[in-house]
Amino acid sequence: MLQSRSARILSYLILLLLAAMMIIPLWTVVSTAFSSKFASLQPGIHLWPSPFSLEGFDTLFRRLDFVRPFANTLYVTVVGTTVHVILSALGGYVLIQKDLPGRSIIAGIILLTLTIPTQVILVPLFVVFKQFHLLNTLLSLIVSEMVSAFSILLMKTYFEQVPRSMIESARIDGAGHFKLLKDFYLPLALPGVLTVAAFQIVHKYNLFIEPLLFINDPQKVTLQIALQSVILGENSTSTNDFIAPNVTMAAILLALVPLLVFYPFMQKYLIRGLTVGGVKE
Amino acid sequence: MIDRIRRHWMLYVLIAPILAYFGAFLFYPMGQGIFLSFQKAGLLGPVGFVGWDNYAKVFATPMVWQAIWNTLIIAVGITLVGTLLPILPAIALLQITPDWLKRGLQTAIYTPYLLSWVIIVGVWLNTLSPVGLVNSVLLATGIIEQPISFFADPAWARPMVIGLTVWKDIGFHALIYLAALLSLSPDILEAASIDGANDFKKIRDIILPHLMPMIRVVFLLTLLGSLRTFDSAFLMLNGRTADQIRTLAIFTYERGILKFDLGVASAAGVVLLAVSLLISAVARVFIRNEDAEA
Repeated sequence: MLQSRSARILSYLILLLLAAMMIIPLWTVVSTAFSSKFASLQPGIHLWPSPFSLEGFDTLFRRLDFVRPFANTLYVTVVGTTVHVILSALGGYVLIQKDLPGRSIIAGIILLTLTIPTQVILVPLFVVFKQFHLLNTLLSLIVSEMVSAFSILLMKTYFEQVPRSMIESARIDGAGHFKLLKDFYLPLALPGVLTVAAFQIVHKYNLFIEPLLFINDPQKVTLQIALQSVILGENSTSTNDFIAPNVTMAAILLALVPLLVFYPFMQKYLIRGLTVGGVKE
Repeated sequence: MIDRIRRHWMLYVLIAPILAYFGAFLFYPMGQGIFLSFQKAGLLGPVGFVGWDNYAKVFATPMVWQAIWNTLIIAVGITLVGTLLPILPAIALLQITPDWLKRGLQTAIYTPYLLSWVIIVGVWLNTLSPVGLVNSVLLATGIIEQPISFFADPAWARPMVIGLTVWKDIGFHALIYLAALLSLSPDILEAASIDGANDFKKIRDIILPHLMPMIRVVFLLTLLGSLRTFDSAFLMLNGRTADQIRTLAIFTYERGILKFDLGVASAAGVVLLAVSLLISAVARVFIRNEDAEA
């Protein structure tokens, strides 16, 4: 688009520099994770593990319970995302019914929720979750953001693109709401459904404030909280118990694996979703 | 009308759980927050109406003013840098021709947006540690003589929160801008070159004006998000940096959950909500006026 040579060279420079700022720190995680405890404590530039060692992973699994937090997060992510997608689809479906009396009031209420972010109501949320007896349950993490205005509006945008004529003829054939949703809207707006699901998977997997607030029971700890205590070394009480960087980086690497496995499949939808979401405002 | 309502009863049944959810887990907590902010907090719950006492306490606490100040500085930093800097990679991405390279770079700069704050802080604690990669390079090239302790130096605390937030979001914002740029017809740029416009002029007179509506959207979203900064600063908070990066959201957590002073914490939460609504309203009016003038 731009023509001068310098503009092209500058473009490459900017992007390579940025990409390096993303890739190099993540690569040092890998190289540190596969280093021995001693090597990981040495100052200097280590872009390759020397000597190669699985000591970090060994210590991680021997000393810290990392499997249970993984299982808890998996449970919350799968169940939470499923419920979120279903409810958002219902919300989007109701909002596209043009002749529904009170539709604008419903839409107004949903939009209003955008002005109340979690971080502003941390303390009352704790009180309310306590009233509902949700503290120290994994259910609390499924309930928080069980549905969101953002996802409902995204579903609505995608549902609106489903051809009216197709829906009309299905309705004349006697299709009810559930049949319309299941056989027409959801399959035809599949990219929208997958976008909402992809964002929600990332959101639930990364959940931090909510488990910090609601969960105390060591049996119910989620991945990010377990990771936090490894990284910030809350478990190291004595110098003997010192957690070396190779252990922390092994923990981070393991936590990255599920994301990196899903990323190639989700990337298309994550990028598409953000452009739809960006235009929405 | 009644007939239409009756015909659509099933739709109301479908939307009811969603509205009930928002009621129970957003509006009700919001109301609780306002209610608690006027109550004296007891060990087992609120014990009585105290009027504006909690608010008086909030504004009489120096730590609150410090937290408001921290929140504002961090928000301004994140909003300015986080809105403007991604324009560069967005324009740059347009120039990259082999498609696989473009997609690869796009993926690389977008990846941090998916990472949790725990992982981000963990990764950079490693890279920026006194014996880590960055300090080793800076020492080896003689730029510094003593390693910089990025995470323990009060002077670095706010730049670190701002910098890592920008790092996390830059790919996300760049792709929003890129999507907007793709709707710019190449013919316009071509016509400009025929008229003798150089690259600088093309960026200033065609590309930036075309991006302006999207820049405003990103500006507002970033501003609102940054006023609620919690995770990032919370994870970077330690004894030495607390006074620089304790945001208002972190203050409410420390006061309400750790010290269980529900009244004062709720009042601080209401103040945070009021401040963010006020700032976003001002920003909206300001941006709308600019629109009207344009």
